[in-house]
Amino acid sequence: MSISLDFSLLLREEYSQAILKGIATMFELTALAWLLAAAVGTMLAIVRMSNSRLGQAAVAAYVEVHQNVPMLVLIFLWYFGVPGLLPDEMQRWINAHNSEFLFAFIGIGLCMAAYISEGLRSGIRSIPKSQLEASRALGLSYLQSFRLVVLPQAVRLALPTLVSHSVLLFKNTSLAMAIGAAELTYVTREIESQSFRTVEVYLFSTLAYLAVSLLIMGGGAALEHRYRIKGR
Amino acid sequence: MDDILQILRDNGTLLLVGQYPHGPLGGLAITLLLSLFGILLAFPFSVGIALARISPFCWLRWSATALIYVVRGVPLVMFIFWVYFFVPLLIGQTVTGFTTMLVTLVIYESAYLAEIIRAGIQGLPRGQFEASRAVGLSYLQTMFKVLLPQALYNMVPAIISQFVSSIKETSLGYVISVNELTFAASQINSTLLTKPFQVFFILAAIYFVLCLILTQLARIVERRIAERRNGSRVTPAKPVTMSRATI
Amino acid sequence: MRKTLLPIVTLACLSFLTQAAMADQLADIKQKGTLICGTLGTSEPFSFPDPVTREIQGYDVAFCNAVAKSLGVKLELKLISVAARIPELQQGRVDVLAANLGWTPERAEQIAYSDGYYVSLQKIAAKRAAGFKSVADLAGKRVSATKGSTSEMAVKKTLPTATTVTFQDPPTAFLAMQQGKVDAFAVSELTLIKFKQQVESSTPIDILEPPVMLEAWGIGMRKDSATLIKHVNGLLESMEKSGEAAKIFDQWLGTSTPYNMRRGFKIEPIKG
Repeated sequence: MSISLDFSLLLREEYSQAILKGIATMFELTALAWLLAAAVGTMLAIVRMSNSRLGQAAVAAYVEVHQNVPMLVLIFLWYFGVPGLLPDEMQRWINAHNSEFLFAFIGIGLCMAAYISEGLRSGIRSIPKSQLEASRALGLSYLQSFRLVVLPQAVRLALPTLVSHSVLLFKNTSLAMAIGAAELTYVTREIESQSFRTVEVYLFSTLAYLAVSLLIMGGGAALEHRYRIKGR
Repeated sequence: MDDILQILRDNGTLLLVGQYPHGPLGGLAITLLLSLFGILLAFPFSVGIALARISPFCWLRWSATALIYVVRGVPLVMFIFWVYFFVPLLIGQTVTGFTTMLVTLVIYESAYLAEIIRAGIQGLPRGQFEASRAVGLSYLQTMFKVLLPQALYNMVPAIISQFVSSIKETSLGYVISVNELTFAASQINSTLLTKPFQVFFILAAIYFVLCLILTQLARIVERRIAERRNGSRVTPAKPVTMSRATI
Repeated sequence: MRKTLLPIVTLACLSFLTQAAMADQLADIKQKGTLICGTLGTSEPFSFPDPVTREIQGYDVAFCNAVAKSLGVKLELKLISVAARIPELQQGRVDVLAANLGWTPERAEQIAYSDGYYVSLQKIAAKRAAGFKSVADLAGKRVSATKGSTSEMAVKKTLPTATTVTFQDPPTAFLAMQQGKVDAFAVSELTLIKFKQQVESSTPIDILEPPVMLEAWGIGMRKDSATLIKHVNGLLESMEKSGEAAKIFDQWLGTSTPYNMRRGFKIEPIKG
């Protein structure tokens, strides 16, 4: 018996179009969610390191919630739960603008923000407190000292963690299929159920995911090498 | 709030044990069983992979590394579908959704746990390895009698965190209709239809409480270990950057 | 792991062949003493949990029961998702499927169907407030359906300009419409009637004409189980003659039920 893996199916126009679209959506979702996670994560880390008790407690609560609830559940909560709490006008606007993608992006981004803030925090904690004090003494504001002195070092120290979280974020965009966002996993399942060529379709997507993950890891390693702090 | 209490009153049992005893066990019970068995069964594999990853034989090292990178690089959902479609074909026997999810978790957790254990071993001072070899222990004896026990002890907190991860990962059983907690919640949502926020809020709250207890436990253990290590000359283990496979 | 993939695939294909060569399934079932019947568990009144005992019951389940009884074996129900029906059957995780399984030519290439034991209309519904009058109004709109279901394919065929958004199960797809995430929702007529009643007082929906598809449901079996297929068809025929099939219909769907339906079909072989 000869085994035939017939990938020509994936080249048929209807399928190849769908796959390309799925891959594009996957990248968009990854990029946007990553930006959201990085922005919110940095803000959270800064508040966490501030002197405000209330701020610290709020960030701690945010982090605990997002680290202790499965991302899939958070995505469901965003997609099915949250819109009902919004005014009708806003609901209509959201629904008219691809709410599957929107809520997947928010759910994934905000969840990963918690992890990124924790990664940054441990980076920040390994910068001696005296540096912050010295920057303040030189006349920089709290935020300026963070932006110009502490964060650049903290990010470098936290880089390995941040890279592995970026890979996780990328992988977790696959969860968006549960709410009907047409990313790669969603498209894979759709083509599988239409064509029944299970092996080919899944093999293709699996390798695609693996390739991108390895690229992120490789890129991260290169960054680490380039920006490592001498002597640490 | 009334809605939430009402839903809990009406469907609490379904969330906790599924249709049991009139049907299969489900809900939280299945979630816990899955993650517990997942991590326990993954454990021996992970020790093997960790040892392979630092072994002197390059082919062992490379295949362990390749396995770990594949697991790190491919979404869990994809693994679930592979196991779902191919394990039954491979063993020529029918497999339940529970088993499918369990097999997936074992593969996935083995790789992540292996990295934790490896970090634990590599966090120990190199001198220990050399000293054990010098007193005449073999390579394997050194590993199993000297290094592993210490590494595992140091890594208990990270292993608990990994258990938390596996609890969260079981929620993906939903996509192949394993009747675990998330599936139970979506069943309730299907019957109620009008209260999705409340239902998913309850679901999130259950996971939250469960996982929070465990993460707090991990922190307490971590502190204990740190205290015991103070005074002893063991250098603290390096932080494990990929300890949590977050889902 | 990547290296081992090819052998896995090889083995997978090999075991497909060996499975195909496997002999008499009817005898196998009798020997093991249980019939595993795949059913949805989320589709009232075909297969759904009794609210009190949480036991799964319904029209589909009644047919599972009848098959098990006729073979003199115990019935074991296995809950499966819509998209998992055919893989579950092909991989032998279930012996038969009574799971809202509509006949399509693509599916009929994969699995064998018994005679049709139910005829379902696939229809589309929209919120009354949206003001759609017929299916044609939905051109270019967003329509939700269940992942891998007949309704998904029907919408794609009858409304090529519409976007389909698919979900894990019918209630989730319905919920998406209720929340306005999509404009309309495609599913079997019955499921629609049920949903319609549930939301009549709050956010009423309208069922749009014409139906997007008329669909005969059969009990799904593997193609290699000729004896089982013959047995099930014989059983269905005798149930039709004795009036038992009609009785099951009345119990779950008839005029005394909330669905208030009359049986407009007879059990007969499905014509492609």
